Amino acid sequence: MSIELEEQSDIAKVRFLAQGYHAWRGRAARLGFFILLIALWQIAASLEIWNEVIFPHPKEVADAIVLGMRDGTLPLAIEASMKRLCMGYGISLLIGIPLGLLLGRKRLLDDTVGSLAVGLQALPSICWLPMAVLWFGLSETAMQFVIIMGSLMSITLSVRDGVKTIPTLYLRAAGILGATGWRFYWYVLLPASLPAIITGAKLGWSFAWRSLMAAELLYVTSGIGSTLMMGRELHDMALVVAAMILIITIGLLTDRLIFRFGESFIHRRWGFDGRD
Amino acid sequence: MTSVELKNVSRVYLGQSGPVYGLSAFDLRIKEGEFVCIVGPSGCGKTTLLNIVAGFEPPDLGDVLIDGEKITGPGTNRFVMFQEHALFPWLNVSQNIMFGLKMAGIQKRERKERTAALLRTVNLSDFSTAWIHELSGGMKQRVALARALIMDPEILLMDEPFAALDSQTRDMLHEEVELVWQRTKKTILFVTHNVREAVRLGTRVILMTAKGGKILREYPIDLPRNRFLEDVEVVKIASQIRDDLRQEVLRASMEEGYHVD
Ligand SMILES: Nc1ncnc2c1ncn2[C@@H]1O[C@H](COP(=O)(O)OP(=O)(O)OP(=O)(O)O)[C@@H](O)[C@H]1O
Ligand SMILES: [Mg+2]
Repeated sequence: MSIELEEQSDIAKVRFLAQGYHAWRGRAARLGFFILLIALWQIAASLEIWNEVIFPHPKEVADAIVLGMRDGTLPLAIEASMKRLCMGYGISLLIGIPLGLLLGRKRLLDDTVGSLAVGLQALPSICWLPMAVLWFGLSETAMQFVIIMGSLMSITLSVRDGVKTIPTLYLRAAGILGATGWRFYWYVLLPASLPAIITGAKLGWSFAWRSLMAAELLYVTSGIGSTLMMGRELHDMALVVAAMILIITIGLLTDRLIFRFGESFIHRRWGFDGRD
Repeated sequence: MTSVELKNVSRVYLGQSGPVYGLSAFDLRIKEGEFVCIVGPSGCGKTTLLNIVAGFEPPDLGDVLIDGEKITGPGTNRFVMFQEHALFPWLNVSQNIMFGLKMAGIQKRERKERTAALLRTVNLSDFSTAWIHELSGGMKQRVALARALIMDPEILLMDEPFAALDSQTRDMLHEEVELVWQRTKKTILFVTHNVREAVRLGTRVILMTAKGGKILREYPIDLPRNRFLEDVEVVKIASQIRDDLRQEVLRASMEEGYHVD
């Protein structure tokens, strides 16, 4: 019996490894594809169909990145952007998650504040910039305001929708198990809406990132968006592309590092797709 | 040790296919310490009855009285074992079982001891740290039973709790529920499709009409304990109830046929 079980768990391990193999094959394919893409870029650039000023060589872009990293301008720009982003996005999470939980539970609040949030979501966040500058001047606060307006609504509304789709059965069970008042919010509503919270946080992050880049492009201060704008002003196409690549990389990395972690947490507990 | 009384309770659902009576002018008195089993065709209003006694849904008409007092919503003196398990996916098996104790502010050590004892009762000690989605349907129902028993409610409302179990496990849990009932004299309202199960467990079996949400007939079960599903007497009474049930289903479908014509 125990030997059989051991054999079986060996088989399960093999199956697990096979899954790992598939994941690695996927990664290799992706890597190969991007190498191919860069090679094509290289070829197109060496054919010199377009002027070098408007179509830079991959090597020039790589040099721009290396140079920027060495002289410290790029790390400084990244740092400035990330600071703004983390502040603004952090505030959005702190307000958005509790607000979403409340909106999902309180009908009157949802009919009023909820519909306001839906309305505001239709406004691209960069439209808040003129107002923010009038209110806060050319400051970090103005930038953060734009980020918050960009991400707060989507976080709030995702969490709200998540709360509304919690199965009635859980809510009833919570009631007879004695989870009332704050305990209900902390021990039932919050964990039950975790899948929605992670979806909302992810959505909010991408909105925050887009808002920040738009704000930095329009209002030159510091940061990676401003680096991009500076490249344009200096007619330095290599720098422009370098900044764009950095923006993509940062976006992808955060998605991989932070949100994949959250999603696999949900996957482990809920089973497959976060719905029971 | 608590009595339950339903007085003239009605509940109508306005569904896509017109109004449906979950319950209509339903009268039922359950004395304290009674073990009442409800049987009836699918869709006859058994879950509706439990939901109303639990306080999840208010009746459209009539009152539910617990110890003579009208209920206004759910309360911790009544616990429901739902037809679907309703366990929390974000907690593991033992965390699910001890959740109610945690809400009641009971110390961690006592929580753990009582949970461990109940895990042994439902034969799931090896799965105390498993996630809910890793369990089979029958295992989930056993966790749900443990979660209900740990709450030690005065009234236990059970909606087809053992439908998904194999016969050995079911026999074992019948004994367990019977034991708990004998020891604590809880008032139990137990819904089931299985007529023999109803006779084996109940002090009274109530057969509902197929439609209209009413009581068709009641059967007092005065057999000695402990009973077994295979007892001759149990089988005899069960087959009589089953005949009545079959006739009722037939009558209802005939009626439906006439409506179509
Ligand atoms: N929310 C609802 N909306 C509309 N109709 C409903 C609703 N809930 C129950 N009903 C109807 O009320 C009737 C009784 O339902 P109920 O769930 O109480 O049946 P049941 O006896 O528990 O059936 P089963 O044995 O299949 O669980 C059914 O005809 C059902 O269609
Ligand atoms: Mg039912």
